[in-house]
Amino acid sequence: MEDKILTVEHVCKYFDSQTALDDVSFDINRGEFLSILGPSGCGKTTMLRILIGLLASDSGKIIKDGEDITNAPASKRGMGIVFQNYALFENMSVLENVRYALKINKETRAGSAEKAKDMLQRVGLGEYIKKKPYELSGGQQQRVAIARTLVLNPDIILFDEPMSALDVATRLSLRKELKKIQREFGTTMIYITHDQEEAFALSDRIMVMEESRLSQIDTPENIIKNPANDYVKSFVIDNLRQKIDSLAKYASVDGGAEA
Amino acid sequence: MTALAKKRSSVRLDLVKLLLAIIFILLCLLPLARMLFFIDKETLTKVVSSESFGKSVLNTLLVGVTATAISVTLALLLSFSLQRTKVRGKSAFSMIFCLPMLIPSISIGWGMVILFGTNGVLTRLFSLENSIYGFWGIVIGSVIYAFPVAFLMLNDVLKYEDGLPYEAAEVLGFSKWRRTCAITIPYLKRPLISAIFATFTMIVTDYGVPLVLGGKFKTMPVLLYENVTGSLDFAAGSVIGVFLLVPAVVAFLFDLFSKSKGNTSFVPKPMPINKDKIRDAAAYLLCGAVALASLIFAASFLFLAIVKKYPRDLSVTFDNFVRTFELGGSEYLVNSLIIALCTSVLGVVVAFITAYFTARVSSKTSRFLHLMSITSLAIPGMVLGLSYSLTFNKTPIYGTIAILILVNTMHFFASPYLMAYNSMSKMNENLENVGETIGVSRWRIIKDVILPQSRSTLIEAFAYFFVNCMMTISAVSILTNTSTKPISLMINQFEAHMAIECAAVVSLLILVINLLMKGTVLFCQKRFFDRKPNNTP
Repeated sequence: MEDKILTVEHVCKYFDSQTALDDVSFDINRGEFLSILGPSGCGKTTMLRILIGLLASDSGKIIKDGEDITNAPASKRGMGIVFQNYALFENMSVLENVRYALKINKETRAGSAEKAKDMLQRVGLGEYIKKKPYELSGGQQQRVAIARTLVLNPDIILFDEPMSALDVATRLSLRKELKKIQREFGTTMIYITHDQEEAFALSDRIMVMEESRLSQIDTPENIIKNPANDYVKSFVIDNLRQKIDSLAKYASVDGGAEA
Repeated sequence: MTALAKKRSSVRLDLVKLLLAIIFILLCLLPLARMLFFIDKETLTKVVSSESFGKSVLNTLLVGVTATAISVTLALLLSFSLQRTKVRGKSAFSMIFCLPMLIPSISIGWGMVILFGTNGVLTRLFSLENSIYGFWGIVIGSVIYAFPVAFLMLNDVLKYEDGLPYEAAEVLGFSKWRRTCAITIPYLKRPLISAIFATFTMIVTDYGVPLVLGGKFKTMPVLLYENVTGSLDFAAGSVIGVFLLVPAVVAFLFDLFSKSKGNTSFVPKPMPINKDKIRDAAAYLLCGAVALASLIFAASFLFLAIVKKYPRDLSVTFDNFVRTFELGGSEYLVNSLIIALCTSVLGVVVAFITAYFTARVSSKTSRFLHLMSITSLAIPGMVLGLSYSLTFNKTPIYGTIAILILVNTMHFFASPYLMAYNSMSKMNENLENVGETIGVSRWRIIKDVILPQSRSTLIEAFAYFFVNCMMTISAVSILTNTSTKPISLMINQFEAHMAIECAAVVSLLILVINLLMKGTVLFCQKRFFDRKPNNTP
């Protein structure tokens, strides 16, 4: 039986006269990796900010583990977020970044340094704890941001296009790391992206968005086999097919040369 | 945070912004309005139709146009010499060129007298015959006073010009001349106009240089100074003040509407510089000559400060320092240090808070507060001083050091505010959001993250306030009295009593104190805030 951790019901959001989210409903299972895929301006970041509690919806409900968290403060939702460019505290060391939230809170202060060190060890940054974020590579910075979130034991981690500023090689290696971290911690992850390939490589399910509306939410296989409408077919399948065709063309050129 | 709590918090933040904007209106626009309403039709007609006013307008424009043309040309040549040649010691040259920015403009005037006056050091050494008093004296003094500002603006622009379009033009076979017309001139157009406006405004609103070197050739700021401090005719001063506002307001509006919206984090490709020995030799010659002139200028104060009685007795002595302090120098120095330190602390605190609200709490009120924060750029110091005098003359702070601190904070506020604004705009936009998601308040994030990351900028802002307060003679000259007088205003007083050695001591003291402040800031920047990114995979 599916174990739903989060349910979003009929969420709407308007900015002045513009509709940012139009009656969006979906749910996510415990331990699942869900990608929200769509072009710029389709409302995916607005959805993410409403889920974490940085933005209030105009209508609709968000239910987590059976509890209505629509009006709960961001820090009380049991969720963490990794922002685009990571938003690390440049004046603090890697260890201080991860330890900061634990240290501030009286209940978690005791043993915070050990907990943070342990977390950094688990994400493979044990030897970088004294470095400042700007001394690390993009990939290492992402791991610090994930460790900072994971150390608070969130039930769900949200990612706001965390790899959009990275080069292709780093993105490929980080995808693997992200999946590894998810397997190890078993955390539910919601990942915002406009990159079809990234969504298909990472996700258990993909939610495709179009101009403030949800177009389809399904497994990658089902989206390929049964696209819900022309938009999904063109934005997801045709785009992927183009990439595959390009690769095939280069593969045949290489093959020809070898022959 | 619930939707209602979010709305409440946003209203609270908007209220703080509004409160800050009201403070700026009260301390900047209101005094200005008071000055404008002080002018009656009769005084306006009387002043504008007077011969001295007409002459002073013409003189000011003549000096302004000539000195601006020379200053900006010189600044452009020096910037090209440093940024487009293989000249070595670029930082050292830049620092030496900026030495005149560390002394009051009145000291520049007296430096000219020490070197080229009737009994000037160089006049006697080379038996020079031309008089430095009048138009050309003011022009040369104004160039020395204003060219470092134009140089800093243009040098920065050339330093960060992207080399990629030049490489592309070379590949396309563009000649040097075509490259200049197609790339350099369009790129330089806006900063050059900005530099021209800034330099022109500085020159035409300064009274220090023309007061010393003008003689009968009077400019508008001198006329304002004489009307207000000499004849106590505040109404006539207000009329001249309004006219002095015009260039400053035009420069302000130009900068406001022509600000580049380019990507501030863009990293340009370094400009390719080919080998050219003749070009480099010419650059060395120009930079060397200007650096030498700047150093001779600074050395002239030292020379005069340590000779017994120039030009009769050139024996070395420290008596002038003792005499300066005996004649009230120590009290005035303490006044200056109190004003400079208090202004710097107050200015930095207000600049940081204001910049935080405009750069990191975006809403419709942010733009309004930003505009109010930079309004002081459009008000020359003399005009601000006069408006304060008319507005606060019946308040308890009038005649105290507090009003000098207040007027200096407002007068020099815009640049440090913009430094803090730019620095905080460049920080990651989600720092406060991270705080919200991990249960850390906005104020705690400011204390633990934003403030530590702004330290370098705030120290620079502190030094900016300090240096300018130490050397300013504009707004304070109208608001000061014998017990609150800053040391920069003693220069003229000593000259009036024929104690030019003491005036040199004061100029030297201001220069040394400002150099120490600049040196300390530079040391702190290098020692504590120099980032060395390490891009290990």
